[in-house]
Amino acid sequence: MANIEKQRAIIDFTLASLMRRKGKNAALLVVYTLVVAALASVMFLTKSIRSEAAAVLVDAPELVVQRMVAGRHEMIPLSYIEKIASIRGVKSVRGRLWGYYYDPVFGANYTLLVPQESPPEEGKVAVGQGVARSALAEVDNIMPFRTSQGALFTLTVARVLPAGTELVSSDLVLLSAADFKTLFGIPDGMATDLVAEVSNPSEIPTIAAKIARLLPDTRPIARDEILRTYDAIFNWRSGILLAILSGALLAFFIFAWDKATGLSAEERREIGILKAIGWDVGDVLMMKLWEGAALSLTAFVTGVILAWLHVFAGGAALFVPVLKGWSVLYPSFRLTPSIDLMQLAVLFFLTVIPYTVATIVPCWRAATAAPDSVMRG
Amino acid sequence: MIILNQVSKVFNKGKQNEFVSLREISITIPRQQVTVLKGPSGSGKTTLLSIIGGMSRPTSGRVTLDGRETTSLPERFLAALRRETFGFIFQQFNLINGISILENVMLPAVPNGERHAPLKGRAMDLLAMFGLEARAATRVELLSGGEMQRVAIARALINNPRVIIADEPTAHLDSKLSGELITIIGRLKQEGRTIIMASHDPLVCDAAVVDNLVEIRDGEISDSAPAK
Ligand SMILES: Nc1ncnc2c1ncn2[C@@H]1O[C@H](COP(=O)(O)OP(=O)(O)OP(=O)(O)O)[C@@H](O)[C@H]1O
Ligand SMILES: [Mg+2]
Repeated sequence: MANIEKQRAIIDFTLASLMRRKGKNAALLVVYTLVVAALASVMFLTKSIRSEAAAVLVDAPELVVQRMVAGRHEMIPLSYIEKIASIRGVKSVRGRLWGYYYDPVFGANYTLLVPQESPPEEGKVAVGQGVARSALAEVDNIMPFRTSQGALFTLTVARVLPAGTELVSSDLVLLSAADFKTLFGIPDGMATDLVAEVSNPSEIPTIAAKIARLLPDTRPIARDEILRTYDAIFNWRSGILLAILSGALLAFFIFAWDKATGLSAEERREIGILKAIGWDVGDVLMMKLWEGAALSLTAFVTGVILAWLHVFAGGAALFVPVLKGWSVLYPSFRLTPSIDLMQLAVLFFLTVIPYTVATIVPCWRAATAAPDSVMRG
Repeated sequence: MIILNQVSKVFNKGKQNEFVSLREISITIPRQQVTVLKGPSGSGKTTLLSIIGGMSRPTSGRVTLDGRETTSLPERFLAALRRETFGFIFQQFNLINGISILENVMLPAVPNGERHAPLKGRAMDLLAMFGLEARAATRVELLSGGEMQRVAIARALINNPRVIIADEPTAHLDSKLSGELITIIGRLKQEGRTIIMASHDPLVCDAAVVDNLVEIRDGEISDSAPAK
């Protein structure tokens, strides 16, 4: 009980004392908050992009078969379908048509895809939000393409895809199989790759091995592998961001270290006074602990909230160019909030704890010195 | 009763700039009386007061407070002693700027763990005693010298100490305020407190409330006598 009252009294004094050095503490708080906000933004963003990608890939085919020629991905003959379908455990096989197209007019890369279900009719396309934005395309507009022969080839925008999974579908252009073949000059009976459905997912490795044996010029890719690739890409991208941010973090630590370790003459004098009037070392350090904790907790909480708003309400506007997009499109998108408590805990231990320690350590020396110098002013 | 036995203080001992500030001082300071340490600047008055008050330790010698030796107490107990037994009035007042009069007065009681309301009541009573009740919320750096002095005294009294230690309490005061201070000292003595002051101000040294005058010169006692 007495201890609670004591802590309360110490906190009262700490807060009053923080308010005195408003300018200095406010500057520190702002920088500190921004650093936390930046780091937390990266964490939130990568985490939710990963879960978003994972969510999209749940619908991805379990097994993709590509044909390889001279170590490169080639068009695959539809005649392979039958051979693969004959393997036990394979439920169905179908060909897919997809590819990338560089639009020289707008300097953007699109992903072109012939959807399995209800593809657009010939002469029509459905485009992702990003495409619509960068090509300034609205429904019923005409989009010009160039065929592989260099001829002009125009398609009409029938529909703009909803923004649901914008991260992945933003640069998407959906079109009919016939238009796709015309555009890229692909002969009939060929597909970009084949996708297989499997009755029992645990058999995927076995089936993949059988396909590779049966059709030696193919490469089967399981969904799990794709997930791993996605993961690696996002990790790599967030790695770049973290590298940039660690610079900011370092600068902050130098700043905080300087502020925390360099006790001003005024602070030294105050510690002396407190000791002279009967505070012991523990009381003084307790006060500094509260001071460091109050400041860094405020910064931490504010920073995390700012990051949340930035990423989930503001579409991570500040990071988008680095983090995302396979193309030069910069979609504005809303991510589904997804938070990794473990990451937050790490952030907490990387910011609040070192700062608090850094404020206490220099006071230790001032607080353990005999207070008689106070008598001499 | 405070007894100093062969107390010496050497600064920077063993170094080139070694300085002997106090040389084997032995005095007895009686309870509930006013004792004044008198001497020229640099004679060691402040050094002696800080040893008596548990702010620093003597290089050699012993101090006992009512039969209990204080010189070898661990730091934590010394802090408790400074807080509970002694009340300090510093020459420079040593108030903490930026916070209110009331907060300053309550500061020595923070480590006690008392409930807030009664503590605040006690602080307000003290401020009322010094006519500062209405200004309790004022920040201390806005006060006049005399007001600061009274806040410093109120702060020294918040934990109801048995011994008051005052170093040159009139150094920053004009003669009228010095007179008031002497009056307050008289009142504290009447309340049964022991008062130890360092001063070379004749207003203090020759005051009627002073019971004992101890003269120090170059760290040694040159004369110790009951005041006339
Ligand atoms: N920390 C220290 N290191 C070295 N010398 C010191 C230290 N503190 C005090 N002294 C010296 O000890 C001597 C006594 O100092 P003290 O402050 O006790 O004198 P004083 O009698 O209070 O003087 P004044 O009347 O000017 O306040 C002085 O010569 C001073 O320079
Ligand atoms: Mg002095």
